[in-house]
Parts: sequence; C-alpha cells; structure tokens
Amino acid sequence: MNPFWSMSASTGRKRSDSEEKSAPGEQRNSPSRSSFGKKQLPCIPKNAVPITKPMSPSASAPSTNGTHASYGPFYLEYSLLAEFTLVIKQKLPGIYVQPSYKSALMWFGVIFIRHGLYQDGVFKFTVYIPDNYPDGDCPRVVFDIPVFHPLVNPESGELDVKRAFAKWRRNHNHIWQVLMYARTVFYKIQTVEPLNPEAAVLYEKDVQLFKSKVVDSVKLCNSHLFDQPKIDDPYAISFSPWNPTVHEEARQRMFMHRRKPDEQTQKVSGLSWVKPGLTQPFSKDDSALQT
Amino acid sequence: MTSLLTNGNRNSQALNLRGVDPETCTIVFKNHWAQVVKILEKHDPLRGNGNTAGIGVGGSSLRFGPIPIDEASAVQNYVEHMLFLMMEEECGQSGAMGPILEFVVSENVMEKLFLWSLRREFTDDMKIEQLKMYEMLVCQSRQPLLHHKPILRPLMMLLSSCSGTATPSVEAELVILLNQLCSILAKDPSILELFFHTSEDQGAANFLIFSLLIPFIHREGTVGQQARDALLFIMALSAENHVVANHVVENTYFCPVLATGLSGLYSSLPTKFEVHSEDWHCLQREDWVQVPALVQFMNSLEFCNAVIQVAHLSIRSQLIDYIYNGFLVPVVAPALHKLTVEEVMTTTAYLDLFLRNISELALLQIFLSFIFLHKHENVHILDTLVSRINTPFQLGTVSLALFRTLIGLHCEDVMLQLVLRYLIPCTHMMLSQRRVVRERDCYSMSAAKFLALTPVYSSQGLSPEFQKLTPDYILWSKNSGNEGSDEAILDLSGQEYACIVGPGKVMDIGYLQYLYEAREKISLCIKACQVWSAAYDSEDPPPECICSGSGDDRLRQSTPSHQPQMPGHHTTSDRLFPSERSQHLELEWDNSYDTGMSPDSEPGSLFSKDAPLVDPPKHIQEMRKNAIMLVKGSYIEESDFQDDFMAYKLVSQKDSLDTVDAVLSKGGSPEQQTVNTSTQRDQPVSNGLLTSLPKNEVELKNKMNSSLSQPAGTPENTKGQKPNFRQKASGGEEDDIMAQYSELLKGLGISAEGAQDAKGDSAELTMPMEEDDVDFNAFNGEQPEQEKMSPPFGTKNWAANNSSVTRDKGVPFTGPFISVLLSRLENMLDNSLHVNLLLTGIIAQLAAYPQPLLRSFLLNTNMVFQPSVRSLYQVLASVKNNIEKIAAARKDFSTLVFDAKQYLLHRDSPHSDPLGPENALWCHNGDGSRTQVRLGKQTRGALPVPTLPPTSPPLPPRIPPYMRNSVFAAVLFTEFLKELAATAQEHSILSHAPLEEE
Repeated sequence: MNPFWSMSASTGRKRSDSEEKSAPGEQRNSPSRSSFGKKQLPCIPKNAVPITKPMSPSASAPSTNGTHASYGPFYLEYSLLAEFTLVIKQKLPGIYVQPSYKSALMWFGVIFIRHGLYQDGVFKFTVYIPDNYPDGDCPRVVFDIPVFHPLVNPESGELDVKRAFAKWRRNHNHIWQVLMYARTVFYKIQTVEPLNPEAAVLYEKDVQLFKSKVVDSVKLCNSHLFDQPKIDDPYAISFSPWNPTVHEEARQRMFMHRRKPDEQTQKVSGLSWVKPGLTQPFSKDDSALQT
Repeated sequence: MTSLLTNGNRNSQALNLRGVDPETCTIVFKNHWAQVVKILEKHDPLRGNGNTAGIGVGGSSLRFGPIPIDEASAVQNYVEHMLFLMMEEECGQSGAMGPILEFVVSENVMEKLFLWSLRREFTDDMKIEQLKMYEMLVCQSRQPLLHHKPILRPLMMLLSSCSGTATPSVEAELVILLNQLCSILAKDPSILELFFHTSEDQGAANFLIFSLLIPFIHREGTVGQQARDALLFIMALSAENHVVANHVVENTYFCPVLATGLSGLYSSLPTKFEVHSEDWHCLQREDWVQVPALVQFMNSLEFCNAVIQVAHLSIRSQLIDYIYNGFLVPVVAPALHKLTVEEVMTTTAYLDLFLRNISELALLQIFLSFIFLHKHENVHILDTLVSRINTPFQLGTVSLALFRTLIGLHCEDVMLQLVLRYLIPCTHMMLSQRRVVRERDCYSMSAAKFLALTPVYSSQGLSPEFQKLTPDYILWSKNSGNEGSDEAILDLSGQEYACIVGPGKVMDIGYLQYLYEAREKISLCIKACQVWSAAYDSEDPPPECICSGSGDDRLRQSTPSHQPQMPGHHTTSDRLFPSERSQHLELEWDNSYDTGMSPDSEPGSLFSKDAPLVDPPKHIQEMRKNAIMLVKGSYIEESDFQDDFMAYKLVSQKDSLDTVDAVLSKGGSPEQQTVNTSTQRDQPVSNGLLTSLPKNEVELKNKMNSSLSQPAGTPENTKGQKPNFRQKASGGEEDDIMAQYSELLKGLGISAEGAQDAKGDSAELTMPMEEDDVDFNAFNGEQPEQEKMSPPFGTKNWAANNSSVTRDKGVPFTGPFISVLLSRLENMLDNSLHVNLLLTGIIAQLAAYPQPLLRSFLLNTNMVFQPSVRSLYQVLASVKNNIEKIAAARKDFSTLVFDAKQYLLHRDSPHSDPLGPENALWCHNGDGSRTQVRLGKQTRGALPVPTLPPTSPPLPPRIPPYMRNSVFAAVLFTEFLKELAATAQEHSILSHAPLEEE
C-alpha cells in the first residue's frame, strides 16, 4: 500500500490566537516576512473531539500578503507522514493505525491483546495529535469504549498518556512510542494516580474481582466490535464478520505479498558493477571487461 | 518482388494452377526441361558425359560462338514457366517431395541452369535475374527447397559469384536474397546445418551467407538496414547454436569489422557543429537525423547494441572487446582531447548521444568504464570531463548535459566515482556528525531552511491588483467550507493531494507539484538503487575503506588489464602532472577553463609540445585500416563456393582459350584438374583475407590465390607460371597473411607488415587527430571576471575561489564534481537560463538519490561540515544574498522578475510546448508548476533545441540584456528552492519507509 493517504482540507478547526514558532532558526534569513514559518493552526481544545463541521472563515487570521505562501501546513503534514512511516517501520505487535481521511491529526487504531489479563481484548481507539505538533503536548489516546483499567478514564475512555510523556520532546518522542505505551499498559498494570480509582483499588485489594471485571469489559468491547465506527470517516476502522466473498481475496493477497519483491527486482532500472565490499567501480567478476 | 525475370512477360504467367492436375504439371515441366536441355547441350562445351547431371570433360573441342538470341530467350521462357510450376507445387504425401521438385533434384536442374547462365555472358543483369529467381523460389515455394543440395549448391555458387565486385543494383538484390535466407534460417534452424555442411564437403567450415553480409554492415540506406537485419537473425541463432557462434568468433571478421567500422564512420562525422542557438546542449533526434554521417554511425551503433543483446556470449564479449580497444580508446579518447573548443564540444555531444542511445548493459558498461577509468595522456577522462563543466562556453553546457545523462543512469559505479567515494571517508563533516548522516528530518527543518532562502523582493513594487493577477497562488479562503471546491483542486492536480490548510490561508499550489515530482523521482531512484552493492550510509561501506589518497591507486589497480599501455608518453605527462593526487585536488576549484590539462600550465606550450597526440597502438591502426577497407566494400572472405564459381567461370572461359582440361565431377565439385588460369578480367579480388583452403582443391586454389591476392587494379598475368603453383601448395604469402589475421582476431598481437595493402585508406584515419590549429583565444578571450562575485555568504572564508591555492592532502574534499557544480551554481546569476536549468536539474537529480551520505550532504541543512567544505546550502545562501543586492540596487527588479516569470510561462504555454495536454492542465495553476514542468523536462533531457518558435513573444523589452541572466536566474532560484525543499520533505518519508510499502 501507499504510505500516503489522502486528506481533504480540514475546515473544522478554529484558528488559534497564539502562533508558535516551528523552527527556531528558520526566520533568520528572511526577517521581513512575518507570516512565513509560523504555525498558524489552532489547538484543539482539550477534552473535545474535533469538530467536523465547517467553521466560519471569518474567524481566521488575516491572510498573508499574497506573494508568499505559507509552507507550514506542508511541514506539519510531512511531520505526521514521517511519524506514520515510523509507526509502520516499528511493526508494533498487535497494533494497527490508520490516519483519518479528514485530518492527518486524527488516527484511528485498534489493539489486539494476545495474552495476560486482557487476553483476547480488541480495543478500538483514536489518537488525537495536537496541531502544533511536534511542539505541543503529547498526543491523546481515547478508547472507543472505556476499558476497565486503572489508567483509562471510565467516562471518556481516555488513556493516561501524560504520565509517560510528561513533556513532549521533538526528535525524541514519536507517536509510535505512544502506541507502544498503549499496548504495554495492558500487560504491566500500574495503579499509581489512577484515572479509574475503582480499578486501581480492586487490582490492589481483590485481583479476582478485578479479573472478572476485566473479562466483562473485554466481552463488552468485543460485543461492540462490529458496531459502526464512532467517528464518521471513510478511513475509520470498522470490523465486519468474516465474509468469504469480501475477505478471501484480500487474504490471498496478503499471502501473495511476500513473493512480490522478487518480481520487482527484475524490473529495476538501476545499474551496478561494483563488487559488494570492494567499493571499486566495475569490479564485479561477471563484468564484460574481464573476458 | 514477384516479378520473375527482369525482361520476362510476367502477365502471361499469372496463371492460376489451382485445380490443375499435378501430373499434368509435372509432364509440362519435364517437357519444358527437355526443350531446355536440348539447347543447353547444343552449346555445352563439355558434352560427352552423357545425360547425367555432372559435366564431364569431353575430348572434343566444340567451338561455338555467342549463343543466338532466340535460343537464349527460348530457354528463358521455358525456365520461367518451369519455375512457376515448381513454386506452385504442393508437398507430396507426408512431407515427401512433389514430383517436380524430385525431378529438379534428381536432374540437377538448378545447377545446370546456373552453368548455362555462366556460359553466356554473366552480366550484372543476369545476376540480378538469378538472384530474383532464387529469392522468389525461396520465399514463395510451397515446399521447403533449401534442404536439397542440388538447389542449395547452385544458390551458393550464385551468391559467391555476386560477392566482391558487385554493382549497387546487384548488391541490393543480393542483400534482399540473403535477408530472406537468414529469416528462413531463423525460422528453421535445421537448415543451418546444411549451410555449413555444404561447405564442409570441401573441408573448411564455412558460412557463406553470413560472410557475404559482413561488407554491408555499415552500409547506409536500405541495403545496410536489410543486411543488418539479416545478420541479427544469425546473431539470434548464435545464441543457441554454438557452432554458429564459434564460426563467427573464430572464422570471420564480424566483430572487428563491426567495432572498428565504428571508428571509420566516426572519422567521417562532422568535427564541428553549427550551433544554432545558445541554449543548445545536446544532440536530439531531430538534430542528428539531419546529418547523414551521424545517422549512419547511429545505425551501426544501434546494430552493435542489438548484436550484443541477442548474440552468443562469445560474440558479445569479442565485440565488446573490439569496441573498447578499437573504437573508444584509439578514437574517442583522442577526439575528446582535440585542440579546439568546438571539436571537443562536438565530441562530448557525440559521447552523450551515444550514451543515451545504448540500451544494452554490457555495451553501456564499457562506455562507462571508458569514461570513468580510462586514462588518456595519463589523465583520467573523467577528470577532463569534470573540469570542462567549468568552461564558460558551450563546451561547459554540453559537458553538463553529458553529466546529466550519466547521473540519470542510476548507476552505482558512476555515482561512486563522481561523488560517493569522496563522501565515504566522512572527512567532510565533523566527527560528531557521523551518526546524523542517517537521521531523518522528521519535521521538515531542512525544507524550511531552503524555502527561507527565498529572496525578499517579490512583493515590492507590485500593486495589490497586480498581485491578484499572478496565477501563482490560489486563495483557499474562497474554497473553505465548500468541499466541492476542494475536490476541484484535487482533480486539477491529478493527485490525491490535499493539505491541512486553515481557512483563508494562501498556499502555493505549485509546491504540490514539486512534492509530487520529488516523490516520483525519489521512488524511482530508491527502486533503482536496490541493486547497488552498499547503502552508503557512513557505515556501509565503512569510512576507512577509502582513505583519502589511496583512492586513485586502488582505482588504477582495478583498471581493466586489457587497456593498452602507451609507453613513451609518460615522460611528458609526468612532468606536467607531478602527481595524480595534486591534479585531483586542483581540479576542485579549477576556474581556469581549461580542457582538462593542468590548470596552471601554459596552454600554448602544453599543446605545442604534445601536439602530435598519441597515435593509437600499431595493432589498432592496422585493425582500423583493415576494417575501413572492409567497410568500403572490398571485403571478401575466401570460400569454397567462390572456388566453385571460379572453376565454372574458368570452364566457361576456357573455350575461347582453347585449353580445356578441367574435370568436374557429377556432384559438381571439382576434382583433380589443371586449369590454365590465364586472364582473370573481372573476378573478385581479395585483399588478402584468405581462410584455410579446402584440401581437395588445393591446386586450383593456389592458382586462384595467386591472382586473387594481387591488389585491385593490377591484375597480374599469370600465364606461364603454372608449374609454380603446385609447389606453393601450403606456404607462401597467403600464409603470412593468414597468420597475421588470425592474430588480429585473437586481438592485438599483429605484426606490422600486415597492412601493406591498406595504405590508401590510412590517411583518412589519422586525419582527425593531427590538426594543429590551436584555438586558444577561445580559452583565454572572455573569462568572466571572478571579481564580480560578491564574497561568499557568511563568515567562512572560501579559499576555493582562488584556484591557485594548493590544497594539501589533509583538507576535506567533496570531490571535483560536486565542487565544480557548486561553483557554477554560485555563479548562477551570470549563467544563462539554460545553463541554470541544466545545473539545477543535475543537482535536483543528485538530491533525489536516497544514499544517506549524499542526501545528508546536499539536503541536511543542520549538518555541521568541516569549515573548508562548502555545502549546497551555503552556496544557495550566497546566491540569495546576491539576488537581494541586485534587487536593492534596482527598484524595478521585482517587476523584471515578474515579467520574466510571465515570459517563461508564456513560452511554455500549450501552443508552443511540445509536451502538450499535460501542460495545458498545469498552465492554469500558476507559474510555479509551469516552471516545474519545465524543470522536469529538463531533467529528462529534452530541452527543445531550436530557438523559440515564432509564435512566442520576444523577450520582454523591459529587461535590459545585461540583466537578463540574473533576472531569469532569480526566477529559477525561487523555483529551485521549492524543488529542493520538496525533495527534502519527500526524503523524510520515502527514504525511511520500508521497501515493501512501495
């Protein structure tokens, strides 16, 4: 698949009054341009799902002088693309994410728990990335259904990510780490400063009851697996029961995929007569010069 | 093609024999033949051997004059009818011969007919007639004919008779027939054996139809094309049939003729061009099809390419060897070092053209290894070419185009030699930066830094209304809240691109196109580089593997051993170039516009001392002489059919001489015979290319050879020398010649005597290398003043501007190529638009390579390099400063730039642009994308050569000529920054994505 994904221009965000510099040094050479290089995208208000209906353009800041486009959106988009390719590269076990169609700042995900207390759990979640990324807070992870877990808010379903990423540091912190953390939480249960005190207390005092509550929670989540996605988006992750006419072909293709690279190398246009390890031009044994 | 005979009454023959009883046909055929035989025997000097097929020796000495015309035409009419019957005959049951064919075979009809035509005057018309006859038979017969010796044999004799001295019209027919035979061979390789066996009866393996084609290899026009097509059939055959392959390699001069023929053709190419416009930089198809000599050369090169593609490995490697040693080294290398700028430029353009037209890897490889490893006059060709980039003339532009071609090959060896080997040691960066090499630029920092270099002048002096007119950018506020509009933009770009853009944001739609193209380019590059041997990421290969200084020695060791050494030339060269290393170092900032010689040497003295440039090694000269002779059409391979033919010929001549003592056996092969070879007026003349002799014809052969080996035009009267012939049986001159040529075939060991008979042609060969009109004014006349350049941007002192500074070995160095490119880029404002297009195209292509070493050097603006290392970013910053200085000095600069943009936009409008509809789409989107397309076209090497079409408007009059370059450069600079930024951004995604995500 293509690592690119499409997004429509998001019209659902308010502009923020506070503009933040993205790159510290980037304006040095063009001080006269005020608009260039500044992030002009708004923060998503905390605890709010992004609004998807259009907002009035009147709320926007005055447009730039018309001759210099702002490349800020490109930087943000490519930063997120880079994050996404990093996620792919990590091959996190049991975790799948997909950016939404409408905004690169919202990713849909699902996590499969394969052993431990939460074994067989399939939890859908959404990642919200602040739009001043990577200079804002850490991304938020919200489960579609609040899982019974000390670190998951029983009301909103939000996972306490902040405790792991108190300060989001560009270049050091990446979104795959957040996803990794979301997975770890289900294998190593923490109870300090819980978002769900009940779960924390039970885990400490009555593991058996905790376990049974977890089983119930897992069952509940799984029973809602085939529900329509919570957020209406073409790229939202949705499950459906096994249907050979739909899925069989896709499954075949997944198995086929392995063989593909061999075919591709046949068509490659590149050339090399360098013998591996020699770093000398035209050093390959089968080179025509040796005849 | 269907016409049987040149003067026959064809219409009467257009009978339809369908449904006619085959037996009737056979009877008619036999009757006709009986009539023919009557006439034939009446005039047969050898009559007396009964009616068996052979022609024996009769004691009688029947004298006869010329054959009466009525009898001749009677025979002709009968024969026409007979052939028609024969062609129309269907196969017998289960593939057996039809009765007519059987009769033809058993009565040896074809051979008798051939002899009959020999009996008469064997004129060109007769030959053409017979060639046409066979061609028709072979093509149109309903049953396979070539399997039958009585048909094949006279055909071979006919072919043999047509070799050598044929006139163009005969040659045309001959080649058509040969072409047909080869195509039949290709379809039915089982016949192949017969073609060989026919001759093996007489001893030597022979493959006449192949040998006959060789002289036509380099012929122009249809004849040449048909011959080459025919040869390709055989080449394809050789891939599976090692007998053919061996024969071609060991017994024919196919490869030497082919390869050294290139040299011959090259020598007739124009040495100078009329350059029609200043933006011309490479030979496009439309250019070279107008130069017949070049067309001919390209045809032959294309043929070499095709042969290498289809032929057996042994042929391929022999051919490649000959092309390297017989064409590239002795011809192209000196040509690249000719004395005038124009000539050198022309050669460079040729080389570029050749590279672009070679598709076969093995061939491409020797061209590349020639460019990258070969040393001429002790200097690497590569160094010479690189240094020429810095010439301010057309030569510099053409050299840039050559390197654009090279870089576009995605070849590891090319990139290694040009750039990577200087980066591998990692000495160009601070030690602490090594780990940064592989880091990805997650947040588009580099892109931002590149874009921040956009000079600020654009908005000054433009009224707001004016700004609105510029199609550069669209205001997204108009679209906000309306998804339909967004979709429209998506459609426009043709990509599924959209961006997070706040309402009311202005955005550069052209940038999307840059991103898209960068993505395409990088993806392609990544894919192509999968075959490379190393990642070039500062660990693989390890920095230690090329320590500075040893690189060249290593390279020298890896130079192919077959490159002929040229002793005797080292002394002068060594004096001029005290050490290889220093030469290299000086090249880096070489602004002296030389043609590859040492920058500080006196040009005049240099050339006058070395003016008689290296003559190629003797054996190569010989080879070339011979090859040219072959090309000129005097090539004849000795063949037994040739002998048969000669025998027959003699037989027919002896009547008039009244001394008949030849004996021809039934099968037609000559047995012991003594022939008085008296006058041989028009027989083919061999230039000494004699192969081994069939054993049972030694005597006859010797007689033949004695006269054959005389040079053309000096026929020797051999009367009375009869006794000598037998004694010369095996030995004598022709053996020497044979020995020489077999040596020649083994490559490169021939003695000097072999070329005596080729003197006439040698002048032509040496011609291009011996000119001595040194055009140094061109070099020294108009050097651009370096002083004009403003000091380098930033505080770093760039010693590089001073070419006299000698670098010591410890100084970090990114290689001459990068250095020259950057130094030309720094002069961007002085360069013409076309140079800048090439230059930025090359750098953009370099930037698309995914190797972390290269990518980090060009695109990572956060890397910390050694102070002496000049980075792309620094150079761009310096250009930006210069632009802003000019803008500050001229208030109307931004208007001029705007005009220039409009002009470029207009120039690329669909009406005047060959790219067509794809462009039409983009011209609505704004200048950015338009110029982008322009750049894209550039990098693909297709800048339209001719001057502007008359429909396009002239330059905006408001741009004063002296400002032109800088104004256009300013336009281009902004676009180039976008291109680089887009490339950097795409790298941050693509170069790190797992490959299977493609």
